[in-house]
Amino acid sequence: MSEPEDELLPELDLRLTQENLEDLYEHAPCGYCTCLPDGTLVKLNHTLLTWLGYEVQELVARKCLQELFTIGGRLHYEMHCAPLLLLQDQVREISYTLRRKDGSTLPVLMNAVLLRDIDKQPLAVRITLFDITDRRKYEQELLRAKVQAEEQSKQLARANELLVTKNEQLTRINSDLDSFVYTASHDLKQPVTNMAGLFQELKRTATFHDPDAAGMMSMFEEALQQILGTIEGLTEVVQQQRELEQVSVDVVELRPFTEDIIRSLHPSEHEAGFTLDFSAVPRLRMARPSLHSMLYNLLSNALKYASPDRRPQVRVSTAQGDKEVIISVQDNGRGIDLARHGSELFQLFRRFHPEVVGSGMGLYLVNRLVHQAGGRVEVESEVSSGTTFHIFLPQ
Amino acid sequence: MVFVHGFGCDQRMWRLVAPAFKARYRVVLLDLVGSGRSDLTAYDPLRYNSLAAHAEDVLAVIHELGLENVVFVGHSVSAMIGVLAANREPSRFACLVLVAPSPRYINDEAYVGGFEQTDIEELLEAMDDNYLGWSGGITPVIMGHPDRPELAAELNNSFCSSDPTIARHFARVTFLSDNRADLPRLHMPALILQCAHDVIAPLAVGTYLHRHLPESELIVLDTSGHCPHLSVPRATIAAIDHFLRTGVSS
Repeated sequence: MSEPEDELLPELDLRLTQENLEDLYEHAPCGYCTCLPDGTLVKLNHTLLTWLGYEVQELVARKCLQELFTIGGRLHYEMHCAPLLLLQDQVREISYTLRRKDGSTLPVLMNAVLLRDIDKQPLAVRITLFDITDRRKYEQELLRAKVQAEEQSKQLARANELLVTKNEQLTRINSDLDSFVYTASHDLKQPVTNMAGLFQELKRTATFHDPDAAGMMSMFEEALQQILGTIEGLTEVVQQQRELEQVSVDVVELRPFTEDIIRSLHPSEHEAGFTLDFSAVPRLRMARPSLHSMLYNLLSNALKYASPDRRPQVRVSTAQGDKEVIISVQDNGRGIDLARHGSELFQLFRRFHPEVVGSGMGLYLVNRLVHQAGGRVEVESEVSSGTTFHIFLPQ
Repeated sequence: MVFVHGFGCDQRMWRLVAPAFKARYRVVLLDLVGSGRSDLTAYDPLRYNSLAAHAEDVLAVIHELGLENVVFVGHSVSAMIGVLAANREPSRFACLVLVAPSPRYINDEAYVGGFEQTDIEELLEAMDDNYLGWSGGITPVIMGHPDRPELAAELNNSFCSSDPTIARHFARVTFLSDNRADLPRLHMPALILQCAHDVIAPLAVGTYLHRHLPESELIVLDTSGHCPHLSVPRATIAAIDHFLRTGVSS
């Protein structure tokens, strides 16, 4: 095995180590020149002279470096570069455009150093110039792209501003609507309560001779109760909304929470059977009141719209999705004809089982609360066999 | 003695001249808003659409420091800013020293300013070409990191770098300004320091100023370029000194 130092150096042509300095100066792949402190040219290399198309005697002692630039560059040199050189004895990477003898131009990048004499007085300036024809093109493209990007960013900002304004408008309209609903329900409640009281009084004091009167009386009473129920529902929608704006998010243990709700529904009166399966997701981070309202409405619906032909069976379960938790409430009730009513399912006051008493408020509220929590509701249903609601909540 | 720098640089360009007057004068150096280490966010292009706003700033500094009998030394565009400030509140000023001044850069019929409108457009173009190399958008980075001064030290051309957008705007305001009408209104001694060979403010401009400034003295310095305070600082100091000792009757 050979040691590294035993390896031969790559073969060098020894003539190259004797680089001719004069030739290097004259034919270097960049322009060299030397000037007096005021810019008067005293020496230029062959490369630079070839670029410019001048003979050396046309330039030395006759022209200044600045005069080789375009007028803009010349102004820039006098105002910026010359003072800078005197201040810090060197400048680097300044971009200028040379004007050749034939009038054509050549973009260059200039580095310069100021030499001083022993008294520290400026003596001469040494200058290197690099041909940057291609680089200048790239730079101009960059500048163009930048202008374009700035224009696009302005457009985006404008679009964003518009969206913010729209959003503010919608928020305002939404809150106006809430206020309207609240005021309307509040203003309706009083006269309807008065009507109910008056009707009770009338029932007690008046005697009707018409045999149909008794039936009409009870229908009237039912209608009154329905109006009161609707008004209460409306008030609840608005109140929920107002409460939610203040309520904080909790970790809710689902089993005891759901059992409480079920108890409040008196399931024994319906002879209903409940199955709870929270093994997949036993607890949730959520505002307690809105979760309560969602489950309460879905569970009470499951009982309310139970099929008259069979004992109600309700199953509540959770499942873990990709970035969300799914709560499902499944019943074996009357079912909904989704093909006919699907699009109206969550609308306020929409009812699909007129034979059952209800206000058309429950699903509207559920949907609204789920959306506020950033989730969505899906429904599967078959008439006469049951309905399943899936609530998708982001976690 | 208040020193104000010209376009394309900042107060550090006075460092070879200003110290010479420290013994006899209270020396105040300032950066115009938009230049040097001024607060760049204060540069509102609408406000600084004319030199008058810079003149107001100079007066604000004079008021803030409670300066009286001010010797105002302004280079290039700031020479005219000084004329505007002195016309507005002559009582604060003793005299003006105008270094390489020009009341208008663009030729106008008989008036020789040295430039055509197209030349100025070309300058603005050259500034754009140097956007990547010259000021390179590096300054805003430093301005955004006052806690990291080492960033400034790494800059190639750390002197006189400026925000390219501001520099472009200031160049436009400077080179398109016309302050010839303000000259006869100045009634105080003024020294015009003219370079013998200056492309930006040629000799013809210096003599024009001398003719139209009622109490002016013209001194031509034997140097080329636009910055005598950098190229011939000693001659510059001597000329100012001579003017302050003899030209100002006080």
